[in-house]
Amino acid sequence: MKVKRFFAALPGRLCLFLAAAVVLIFFSNDFGLVDIQKTAIVLAAGIDREGEEFSLTAQIAVPKGSDRTAGGTSSVEIEGKGETVPDCIRDIYGKTGWVPKLVFCDLVLLGESAAREDVFSCLDFFLRNEYVPNSCRLAVCEGSAKDLLSSQSAVDDTSALALSKLFSDAAQKSGYVMTTSLREFAEGYYGVSGSGYMPYLRALPQEGAQTEASGGQSGQKTGDASSGQTVYTAEETAVFSAGKLAAVLPREQTFALSLLHGNVYAGTFGADGETYVVLKEKGSAQADLAAPAVRFSLDVRLQLYGTRDASAPDAIAKSILSPAQRARAEALLRSYLAGLWEQTAAAGCDVLQLRTHIYRTSPADFPAWKDALFSLPLLSEVDVKSVS
Amino acid sequence: MKLSSRQILFFLAAVTPVGKLILMPPQLAAAARGDLLLPVLAQLPVQAALVFCVLLAARDGRTLHEMLARRIGAWGAAAVSAALALFLLYAAFVPLIEQKLLVQSIFYDTLPSYVVFAPFFVLSAYLCSRPTAGTGRLFDVLAPLSLFGMAGILLFSVGEADFGALLPVGAAGAGGFLQGARRACAWFYDAALLLPLLGRFDYKKGLAAKGAAAYLAGGAVLLAFLATFYGVFGDIAVIQVFAFAKMSHFFAGLTVLGRIDYLFIFSLAFVMIFYAAMPIQGAVQLAADCLPQSGKWLPALLSCAVNAAMLALLYAFNFYSDRIIDLFTGRLFFLIPAAGAASALLVLLLGRRRRES
Repeated sequence: MKVKRFFAALPGRLCLFLAAAVVLIFFSNDFGLVDIQKTAIVLAAGIDREGEEFSLTAQIAVPKGSDRTAGGTSSVEIEGKGETVPDCIRDIYGKTGWVPKLVFCDLVLLGESAAREDVFSCLDFFLRNEYVPNSCRLAVCEGSAKDLLSSQSAVDDTSALALSKLFSDAAQKSGYVMTTSLREFAEGYYGVSGSGYMPYLRALPQEGAQTEASGGQSGQKTGDASSGQTVYTAEETAVFSAGKLAAVLPREQTFALSLLHGNVYAGTFGADGETYVVLKEKGSAQADLAAPAVRFSLDVRLQLYGTRDASAPDAIAKSILSPAQRARAEALLRSYLAGLWEQTAAAGCDVLQLRTHIYRTSPADFPAWKDALFSLPLLSEVDVKSVS
Repeated sequence: MKLSSRQILFFLAAVTPVGKLILMPPQLAAAARGDLLLPVLAQLPVQAALVFCVLLAARDGRTLHEMLARRIGAWGAAAVSAALALFLLYAAFVPLIEQKLLVQSIFYDTLPSYVVFAPFFVLSAYLCSRPTAGTGRLFDVLAPLSLFGMAGILLFSVGEADFGALLPVGAAGAGGFLQGARRACAWFYDAALLLPLLGRFDYKKGLAAKGAAAYLAGGAVLLAFLATFYGVFGDIAVIQVFAFAKMSHFFAGLTVLGRIDYLFIFSLAFVMIFYAAMPIQGAVQLAADCLPQSGKWLPALLSCAVNAAMLALLYAFNFYSDRIIDLFTGRLFFLIPAAGAASALLVLLLGRRRRES
């Protein structure tokens, strides 16, 4: 009887099992098996322009082999050329037979030549492509992106991974690195402000002798300064207007921009042989159309972090700023803000999204002010409070 | 075995919003930009009223075919049922295209083969051949999954959203609003999905009002999603076609936790699969009700035939997805609201409260 009942229910059970198996395989992507030997996992893409031609350098992760003493990620840089960025990708495929897989591409690096033209002629492909994450970081570099990606980093075997360290959360909180993602930059570009920013990278020769690779085991050397190892800095910020590089903000103005964005926590700045640490801050930038002016306001809690001269233990214990030090810090921050406004206004770059603010709060005033914005005077309010 | 009223409410509150998360948000952003909530705010009360009508008609206790047959005879009932089944299959086409594009883009990291979506129809054919009681149990499973997925996605995305992007309200003007409302029509046919379930659940006092309220509650979640979506993507929202799978990607905690947002994405994708199959299931049910003696195998064969036809149609128009979407949300936008409203009002007129014997 039981056997009969079992066989009676068998078709239904088989159907159920089949459906479950199909759903499982369907969702686990086993229909889309990828041959890893034919796939290039692109860690970073560097784009340069030569006139009307684009050149894309893909930094591709390659296995280090079976040597268990070696860790980290090795990479190889392949260059493709073409009239558009997708042409470059196709060129790489044509040259290597590797299918470039961009889903892990966390950095798009633009060479100076690409940044001088509308960068969305380069970024359009990345924005359209469903397989490129919109969260990938953007950066501009001095000189050619190919050279920078091909340089040998002193801190990692792969330059893209070394660069990603510069864009860490801790680096952003220091106030000297303003990172941006493809999504954020595209929102600025297509929004009413028509502006955006990216970190500006420079490669510097590594000073000193031998250096250990971070990914390697102790004792493994990757070379020395004479073999051309480099370190990178991202403490400057490239600002864009209508997609073109408009100016490069020095580190002080990058710091001011970070403060206005409210990004800084435990970031430091120095004045007259003393270093202050920002423990809490709130910044805002607004266009005040009633009394036409641009208002930058900063509310900063500081602590004395270090001095050039020896201090008494009591003073170290309190670390409180004297009125003179507070005034000095205020004046310094005000000068940073003034420099930032001067530079961005001269470049016609609405990096603080003031146009967006006017459009959202006073849409009727927007047509009149969108161009006149940069002629407004700056009123900066800096309130520095000392905390122990 | 009948569905319970709880399962109907689960469907209305938790499953229906999930079917509108793929192409509808960018379509609305393209038409109404920051005013994308307004067309949905207009659609929701209308659809809730239609849900109320259909649920009120359920007091009759008969299936749609029985109601029709009682009034206009067997042949008339078969003709109307067939027309409604065709309407449901028509309405199913946009969700199927959405699902196909979603699977190809989100579950694969390079462009996959065109046939990867075909197994969906195996599952759909199986679902269509099952008794309705299975659908009720499905709602019991899908509702918590949907809530889990939606809550997770919203929680992970809300920190990245700049809700100021929705300002100034009304910037798109009446034109933007009307265009948005027109495009949204292709996704609002939820009342019609209840038609094949008529007579398969017992009407309990107040179910119609509760159903409409549950639908509005689900609508509120949809509005929260749309606001967050536009807050995250702003002026590039128009190109974010699979936003629910991308919004949470910007959550800073993912760098530490890993891509745990995939749990939420897969939960919603799972619910979507069944929601996309529902109109086909409803169409098969309506057609099967017209057959003189359904038996066990006839609905199964009907299910296979309908799903094979939908598979063939989907792949026949494989390269014309954009045109199909434009057609459904453009020139033919009126078909779904007109047929949806007509069918809901029809059953309200046909349905009578059944006297207890």
